[in-house]
Amino acid sequence: MAVTTAEAGPSVWPFVRLKLRMLVNGWRGRPARTALFVAGVVLAGFFAVAGYAIFAIPGVVGDERAASLLLQLGGSMLVFGWLIFPLLFFGVDESLDPSRFALLPLSRRTLIMGLFAAALTGLPALSTLAATAGMVSTVADLGGAAAAFVQFVGIVGGVLICVAVSRAVTSAFATGLRSRRSRDLAVVLFAVVAALLGPLQLALLAGAERADWPAFAAIADVLGWTPLGAPWSLGLDVVAGRLWAVPLKLLIIVVTLVGLLRWWSATLERAMLGAASNGSSRATGNAGSPTGLLLGRRLPRSRFGALVARETRYWWRETRRRASLITFSVAGLFLPVSISLSGGAAGPMAVFVGALAAVALANQFGYEGNAYAANVAAGVPGRVEVHSRAAAHAVFVLPLLLLVALVVGVVSGRPERIAGDLGLLLATYGAGLGLVLPVSVRGAYSLPESTSPFALSSGGGLAKGFLTLGVMLGTLVATVPLQILAWVLGSVWLWIGLPVGAAFGCAAYLIGSQVAGDWLDKRAPEVLVAVTAGR
Amino acid sequence: MTVPVQREGDQIPAMALRGLVKRFDTKLAVSGVSLDVPAGSFYGLLGPNGAGKTTTLSMAVGLLRPDAGHAFLLGYDVWADPSAAKARLGVLPDGVRLFDRLTGPELLAYHGLLRGMDATTVDQRARELLDVLELGAGNRTLVVDYSAGMRKKIGLACALLHAPRLLVLDEPFEAVDPVSAARIRDILQRYVAGGGTVIFSSHVMEVVERLCSHVAILSDGVLRLHGTLGAVRGDRSLEEVFVQVVGGRVSTGSELAWL
Repeated sequence: MAVTTAEAGPSVWPFVRLKLRMLVNGWRGRPARTALFVAGVVLAGFFAVAGYAIFAIPGVVGDERAASLLLQLGGSMLVFGWLIFPLLFFGVDESLDPSRFALLPLSRRTLIMGLFAAALTGLPALSTLAATAGMVSTVADLGGAAAAFVQFVGIVGGVLICVAVSRAVTSAFATGLRSRRSRDLAVVLFAVVAALLGPLQLALLAGAERADWPAFAAIADVLGWTPLGAPWSLGLDVVAGRLWAVPLKLLIIVVTLVGLLRWWSATLERAMLGAASNGSSRATGNAGSPTGLLLGRRLPRSRFGALVARETRYWWRETRRRASLITFSVAGLFLPVSISLSGGAAGPMAVFVGALAAVALANQFGYEGNAYAANVAAGVPGRVEVHSRAAAHAVFVLPLLLLVALVVGVVSGRPERIAGDLGLLLATYGAGLGLVLPVSVRGAYSLPESTSPFALSSGGGLAKGFLTLGVMLGTLVATVPLQILAWVLGSVWLWIGLPVGAAFGCAAYLIGSQVAGDWLDKRAPEVLVAVTAGR
Repeated sequence: MTVPVQREGDQIPAMALRGLVKRFDTKLAVSGVSLDVPAGSFYGLLGPNGAGKTTTLSMAVGLLRPDAGHAFLLGYDVWADPSAAKARLGVLPDGVRLFDRLTGPELLAYHGLLRGMDATTVDQRARELLDVLELGAGNRTLVVDYSAGMRKKIGLACALLHAPRLLVLDEPFEAVDPVSAARIRDILQRYVAGGGTVIFSSHVMEVVERLCSHVAILSDGVLRLHGTLGAVRGDRSLEEVFVQVVGGRVSTGSELAWL
């Protein structure tokens, strides 16, 4: 590794080269990954162009007030985005895992600078820089070349802050989440937050409609004096003649950067020391019978019972599954309620909720990775496997669907619709299952078996995620006849909706599960290979 | 079934592999392995890392579909009649997760019921296994929080629970502490004495030499040598034979002189 040549002085180039080399090697013999990278380039390019255009508009129209508002608020949003998105959705690119450098004789300073440089060498940082270049254009239009140069220095500092903040925060979280329990808890918390983002956004939009612009301008100016907004307002201060503000804001930027890198460096130290294993603590309770512990009192003492019991436990104990249940509950309740509150028809929304519920099973075999080998080795028949998984999911989903129908009926002030809506929900859930079960057998893919909750799913997962969208669409299409029927029949549907919907859902489920079961009988080893991580 | 397998008395091998081939992308992982494991034998499958041990065993037990060839367990074709073959088989795969969000007792109950055993038998045997392997019948720790050695032991317990006639174990002694390893050896030896067949993979010569009646040496996906321990070893140590067969270098003394 070229890193050992760093004795001459702290050089960051070996790190950058290492990162690029790993990126290129990752493509070798993996067309899917190359395609994904190309898609990433297109997306980043789009973001860069769109951002540039938006930030350049105030300059083109020559509106200084709009420029002050847009640059400071927009820039702050960018930093906030860099802070929050890696935690919630994307994870950080850990291709240069700090712990791999633990044994090399590198000073912490060299390591941090190298990792920081490597983090800057990436599409997100480049496209952010390109997007904010629109700010330079605006400032140039308003205040000439000198101001534009100052703004350029500002956006470079801003991008550095963006990257530093995302690294420092994810590293701090990952270190804090060393134990499995705290990690599990965090994933669930994040799921709640992520699910609440939608409602929050709507609330903000509603606020924006009523708010007065001077108030926003005041907020923007305050933000301009915080690390969030300071880098983006440097050039504007020159334009407005507040030259004294420039060195102060530069100081803010530098202090922030140094502080973030220090913090990162401190958490990195702890991360590199590695996790202390704490698996020996034994919680010993009174010993019930093993089957009793697994099955509880009600489930049958059979293969089916054992499978259902294991699945229900996994929906609760496995964090990814629990997170998806929580997200679904929040979205499932919030969407129809907000629609009916704003006076729309809850019916179509109910359909969406049913489909959303079923989609959670799209990669049901991927959740446990190759633990599925136990079922293959035991020779579980495909239909038993499929039925048990659907049954366990239904244990959680059916009460939720009932709740959704009840809440929507009450909130929209039309309780007489509850039965009919529940019928529609059951029909879509059944149809969704009927579609998703075969897809889950054919389109299984491996999820990362990572210790970091923020690790990226590597490669092919994303492409197969499109299957999920396909299932959603398919479900919506499959239930269109029922929707039309409900609409045409009007009040008659209120009476027959529940039995008809339930029957439709059951029929769809039975067809789908038969197909899925037969496929699974033929392809169980292939499914196992597909969900094994690292393939 | 293209290859006829004799089904008379003790003549049926516990495991019979015929020309197994597996290719990953461009690499030929296993090329044409044929092997007979006699019933009642303690069979060691030796090989350096990446030799294809895990791949071969996975194909033999029905977890990985071979590109060509056949595998018979106790006379049943694994890939033509999987349920009959799998019912008589206990597997401890290596590098495979368990359903580790269950507690130990729950996991054992799950495996027992999955094998179609009745609940009373499952409870009784599970308690006994947890006790013997010192995992604790009342241990409420999730398997995901177990240490590596404990995980091996609970995996072994899962493989033993339904009293199979054939045990296929991939690296059963890896990461297991000496005390537990001794106990596992003891259990396996009693199992073989009782008429069961064990085939396990390892790259630890001492363990194989101490336990096995038969050995096979695999390298680069090809079976280099197999037979009874005595026949394979001759008058040399197993390690010498292994290094020679696998084609490793023997130190001449002149390399790394600066060390």
